This record gives sequence, structure tokens and C-alpha cells, in this order.
Amino acid sequence: MRTGHFKERTAQLVALSDSKVVWSFAGLLLALVLAAPFLIGNYQVTLLVSAMIAIVGAVGLNMLTGTTGLISLGQAGFLAVGAYTNAILMMDHGWPVWLSLPAAGVVSALVSLLVGVPSLRLKGLYLAITTLAFAFIINHVILYAEWLTHGPNGIFVSGAKVMGVDLQRGKALYYLTFGITVLVVFAALNIQRSRVGRAWMAIRDHDIAARVMGVDLLRYKLYAFMVSSFIVGIAGALISLQIRFVNIDVFALILSIEALAIIILGGLGSIAGAILGAIFLSLLPEAIRLFFDAFADTNSSFYTTYVYEIRGITYGIVIIAFLRLKPEGLIGLWRDVRKYWSNWPLAY
Amino acid sequence: MDFLLLLLASGLVSGAAYGLIAMGFALIFKSTGVVNFAQGELVMLTAYISFTLYSTFDLSFFPLMLVTIPISMAIGLALERLFIRPMLGEPIFAIVMVTVGLAVVLRGITIMIWGPDPFNFNAGIPTEVVELGGVPFYPAQLYLIGALAVLTAAGWAFLRFSRMGIAMRAVAANETAALLVGISVSRIHAIAWMLSAAIASIAGVLFAANFKLAPDLWFQGLRSFPAVILGGMDSVIGSAVAGLVIGVIENLFQGYVGQGLREISGFIVIVIVLMVRPFGLFGSRDIERV
Repeated sequence: MRTGHFKERTAQLVALSDSKVVWSFAGLLLALVLAAPFLIGNYQVTLLVSAMIAIVGAVGLNMLTGTTGLISLGQAGFLAVGAYTNAILMMDHGWPVWLSLPAAGVVSALVSLLVGVPSLRLKGLYLAITTLAFAFIINHVILYAEWLTHGPNGIFVSGAKVMGVDLQRGKALYYLTFGITVLVVFAALNIQRSRVGRAWMAIRDHDIAARVMGVDLLRYKLYAFMVSSFIVGIAGALISLQIRFVNIDVFALILSIEALAIIILGGLGSIAGAILGAIFLSLLPEAIRLFFDAFADTNSSFYTTYVYEIRGITYGIVIIAFLRLKPEGLIGLWRDVRKYWSNWPLAY
Repeated sequence: MDFLLLLLASGLVSGAAYGLIAMGFALIFKSTGVVNFAQGELVMLTAYISFTLYSTFDLSFFPLMLVTIPISMAIGLALERLFIRPMLGEPIFAIVMVTVGLAVVLRGITIMIWGPDPFNFNAGIPTEVVELGGVPFYPAQLYLIGALAVLTAAGWAFLRFSRMGIAMRAVAANETAALLVGISVSRIHAIAWMLSAAIASIAGVLFAANFKLAPDLWFQGLRSFPAVILGGMDSVIGSAVAGLVIGVIENLFQGYVGQGLREISGFIVIVIVLMVRPFGLFGSRDIERV
């Protein structure tokens, strides 16, 4: 238990954290992640890149679903828009990657208005169904607008060079993703404690009360949609850079469910939770593979045929188990541990 | 003209399947307030179980359903008891997310048990073509439309006259008040899940008999959402009727507007309905607007 802990200046109240321990741990973590590509193998670097992309996407979704309380089952759609925008601008129009990456976010944010505006009157389940419908419509548009998206053939993404460095290769991609992740996380942390973030939380907790207090629901819900989709669009663009190929199969419905699983697992509305959840869930398939390695042959036909189903079942079990046993998610678990640690040997 | 008639006929057939699945959605939503995202998976699982029964015992259609329906009801009851009941009192969002999780788990398990290859499954229904008003029909198609008609009528009578149906409507209207007049709300919830699973099994078997028994059968659940929304989420009969409408709309889009629009025309209808009349054609008008 900390004592003698007073806040005397405004700067102390709005600080991200007033604890030196937290800052030094964050610095240590940052240094470790920065040094990681030199310490671990290529394969692990690829895994870390996927995990960081998942963090970007999860932080984006968390703004919409966790902070504002608007449930979205259409994340795969926004990711697809971002990935395709990046791929089309880079490959068909020759844009440099440092322009096409933010453009992917902007286009995704604009597209989100298409689903955002009709959804303003809806909430909860109705919104979930509309966003689901949106994801299907996007998928079909991509599949049938062949003049723009090359339809079912997909697009190969290559040659993302900035000053002669290929950003799609090992360390360069790692540091690009890392930079964007840090930016997004800090932006999200700052938005959450601004006027906009507080308005979002007010809408989530009680929309009528928020309206009565003067929160413009229309404006702030649209903000939530746009900011969230901007970030998710960038995550989509990063996916296209990492896997070097965009195709409609990459953005199946299971991706939307995976995204929701991440933020539920981490703890709704918490950015640290979204990060924990993203890391946990992107390393989970790896853990499953190791598990199968230990007990059975991973090249066996059962594993290779059903790898998709096994992943799906794990996501489902993770969602159900956390909602049932620990609705506050991993971050709630962490808070419990911290409380137990600082109060020990007393119960509270 | 013939083209239009054919489109209408096949639209009614696929619409009847949507209608049946949508009835299952609406039944659960009406009495528990939860959208069951696992309905499509329930349809798929029960159809596969029925297929196994069929190929083991070689039953004809009605005996087959007589065995399939009780098994499905048991599955529905088990799902409600094991996964939904413990979540009672949690926010609706959490319960709906549990059904989403349940959906991927059921889907994965079903595919892992029966494999990724499609089966031909005629469910013991004869396959000679019957001609009705100049339009050729397969008996399975007529069975499907007939099942929708019978279940709609039965559903209406059940909700209107039977003690259980009236109790169900009472729970839908006001759970606390229903509890106070002595209705066991938890039992109503369980019964809603059982009946919904029974309807799902009928829909699944007949859909498989008409088209194919394939691992993407779960997708029919999502394809039926337009029907649920159009009919009104809490209107069982409305969903059945709206299913037919959506089936016809889809086929007309496919026939006259363009290939590939079939799959999304329903979802475009969702967006339009939600903008204009969020409670659907027959649903109760209690959505608050802020």
C-alpha cells in the first residue's frame, strides 16, 4: 500500500503514471523489445511482428467496443479495406509506402462512416448485426470489383522501400511495426483521458445520461468509428506488408471473432488489456503447435487438415472461459495479483 | 415469365429455409433477449447427427425426424444449461459473446467429427420431380415449404393458446412481472432453447436434403439474419414470413441485377431496414432512440 501519496499539481493528475517503478519497467520493456531482433531468431521476430500488428488492431477495436461500447463484428471488413488500400495504392498506382500506409487508415476511416451513419440509431445487438452485414458486403465488393481489386486473384505486395531499405524484410519490418505500435498505444492512452475519451466512456456507461450532460452522441459515436477504423486500417496495411499478399480469404469472419476474443481476453476498455490479450492470442496458435508437437506429429494429416478448426475452437473456448470465470480479463487478473502482492499477508 | 416463375419458386424454397432458421433465432430472442449467434451451428450439428442416424439405420423422413428432434432438443437444453444459464445476470453483451464463442467451438467440433467433405443426404425423401402449376419441384422442396407452413401455424397456435406459449410471451413482455405471477422464467428459457434447437434440426435436415450437407452449412445461420431483422427480432411468425420475402428478393437480385449480388442483397436489406424501421415489419416498437 502506498502512503503519503498526494497530488498537488494539475500535471500530476493528468500524468500517464506517477510511479517511477512503472516508468522504469516500461523503459526496460521498450529497450528489450528494441534489442529483440538481435537476440532471437528470424522466426520469433516474425511472431513478434504478428503480435504487434494484433496489438494495433486490438487497440483500435478496443476504442470502439471497449471504450465507447459499440460492438463491432465487422473488424475483418475494416482490416480488408486497409490492406487492400495499401496494396492497390502501392502496386497499381506506385505510391511510396510512407504515403500509402496513412492513406490506408484514412480510407478505412472514411469507409467506416458508411457503416457508422446508419448505425447511429442502433446499439448493442443491432449494431453487431449491422457491422457483420458490413463485413460481408465489403468482402463481396472486393470479390466482384475486379477492375479495382483484381477480384479472387488477390494482389502481391512487394517493393515497399524507403531510402533503399526494404520495409518488408526482417528487422526493417520489425522496427516499422514497433514504431507504429508505440505511436498507436500512446495516441490511444492520450485520447482516452481527453475530453473525447471521457465522452466515449459516458456513452458506453449510459447514453441517455451522456446526452443529458451535453455529449453530442452523433459526433462522438462517429469519432469513435473513425478513429478506431483509422487504426484498424493501418493494422490491415501492416498485415498486407507482412504477408506480402492480400486475398479475400485472409479476411474471413474468424478474424473479427479473433479481434473480439483479444479484447475480451485482455479486459474490455483497457489499453494494457488489449496489449496483453493481443500478445496472448497471437502466441496461442504457437502454443497449440508446441502442444501437438509434444504429443503427436504436427505433420500428421489430422493436424494439417483441421488446423483452422483447432484455432477456432481455442478462440471460442478462450472467449467463453474468460466471460464466465474472469470477465475483467487478463488485466483484471494482473490487478488481483498486484493487490495481493502489496497487501500480503493481509487479505485486503 | 417462365424465368420469373422459376426464380420465384426457387426463391420461396431457399426463403423457407431462411424462415425456419430465423424462427429459431426469434424464439430465443423473444424469451431470453439474447441473439443466438450459434443458431447456424446448431442447424449444422443437428443436420450432421441426422445424417449419421440416416446412414446407420436407413430410416425414411418422418421416423428420422422423430428421432432427430428429441436429440436436438436435448442438445439445446444442454447448451442452455452449461453455457447460458451460468451467465444469467451478466450483461447481454457477455451472453451474446458466449454464443459467438459457442458458435466457433460447435463449428470446429462438427467439422472435425464429420470431415471437410460434403455429403449427399436426401433424408429419406423421394426424388421424383413433381409439377405444380407448370413449375417443376423436387419433393424435398415441397417438404421444406410445407414444414415452414406447418411450423408457422403451430408456432402461432402455441404462442396464442397454449399455457406454455402464453407464459413465454409473458416472460418476453416483462421478466420480473412474469416471475411474480409464478412463471418459472428459467424453465421458459430452457424450453425456448429446446424448441429453437428442434426447429433448427428441421431446418438443417431439409436444407441438406435440398442442397448439400457441407461444412459451410453454418453460414446459412448468418444468411438468415436479414429475415430476422426484416421480420422483427421478437416476432416468431414475422421471421418466418420475412424468410420467404428475403429468399425471393435474393433470387430476383441474382436473376435481374447481377451475379454475386445474391449473397449480399440480404445484408443490404438489413442495413435499409435498420435505418428505416429498426424493429422490423412485425416486431414490437420498443427500441429507444437517442
